[in-house]
Amino acid sequence: MSMVSETGRGRAIPQPSIAAEGVPVWDPVVRVLHWALVIAFAAAWGLGKFGPDQMTLHFWAGYAVAAIVVIRVIWGFVGSQTARFTSFVKGPRKVFGYAREMTSRRPSKTLGHNPMGALFIVGVLIVLAMQILSGLLADPEDYINVGPLAQYVSSDVARQALALHEPLSTLLLAMVAVHILSIVFYRLYKKEDLVTPMFTGRKKID
Amino acid sequence: MRKILLSLLVLAVPAAAAAQSAEDIAGARIGYYRLLGHEMSLLAAMAKGDVEYNAEKAAAAAKDLQTLTQYSVSDLFAPGTSNAELPGKTRALPVIWEDMAGLGDKGAAYVSAVEELNGVAGNGLDALRPAVGKLGGTCKSCHDDFRAKDF
Repeated sequence: MSMVSETGRGRAIPQPSIAAEGVPVWDPVVRVLHWALVIAFAAAWGLGKFGPDQMTLHFWAGYAVAAIVVIRVIWGFVGSQTARFTSFVKGPRKVFGYAREMTSRRPSKTLGHNPMGALFIVGVLIVLAMQILSGLLADPEDYINVGPLAQYVSSDVARQALALHEPLSTLLLAMVAVHILSIVFYRLYKKEDLVTPMFTGRKKID
Repeated sequence: MRKILLSLLVLAVPAAAAAQSAEDIAGARIGYYRLLGHEMSLLAAMAKGDVEYNAEKAAAAAKDLQTLTQYSVSDLFAPGTSNAELPGKTRALPVIWEDMAGLGDKGAAYVSAVEELNGVAGNGLDALRPAVGKLGGTCKSCHDDFRAKDF
């Protein structure tokens, strides 16, 4: 199969695959980490809430989330342009400026995180880090589901970590809801497809 | 008449002071669960490999847990001893006193896991580990429903 096809005008032009449509916006590392986080977070959350009392699988899902967050933060310093914190974290003026345009019914045409999305990214990474840390430190005093770092802190700290772990999981669920609702808002109201680029890495710019 | 009443009152004060306060009861309850934790921590350390498995010690710890199941805990759950009445002193949630049957079910699951553990604790590490896991699971399941995460 050739990547070249004949057009009506009889001229051969490169026929891009679907993945090659548009301009590059998310590098493969960002995309893989994003969808890996979806899977690992869903697993950790579901197993934490509804899983067996022996929480080994929840622990593994949590370690996976931790690995994803650590790699994403590193990638935020050394990754592609749109992956870097310095390229998307903006000051309050840019954030408020973008917020004012939110209600206009046209695509933002941002390549990468917009200034408000950047706030969310930093926020979710911070809350995830807190959740990972609270899980690692938590001691539920059942002797089998003790966070691996609980032994290095006082029992007061281990208990406070335990007390934080569940409220933080609710906060994270709320953040997931905000994330998904924003994407629906962009799709329906602003006519901008944010989902396809997270699969293909490319964004169609009209 | 007044003298009699006064002397009764004087007699009554030490009697009241000698009775267990709500805080004392909560303290005794915490003490009971500390004992369980003391035995369980050794078993868990063996199961995790932090402490070398020793059949005699494992069986002894399991036996102590079994002995402690003979202890009647109902008076440790006297009314007026939840964390609503004794903030900072206990993590026992008021729901315990609304759902004693539910607490009893958790207790029954715990007792049956202790029995199971006693059947295998001296039979080697491979036999001990799943029984400790199951027992710890019954701790978690009760903590989830009936104990506050923090004081």
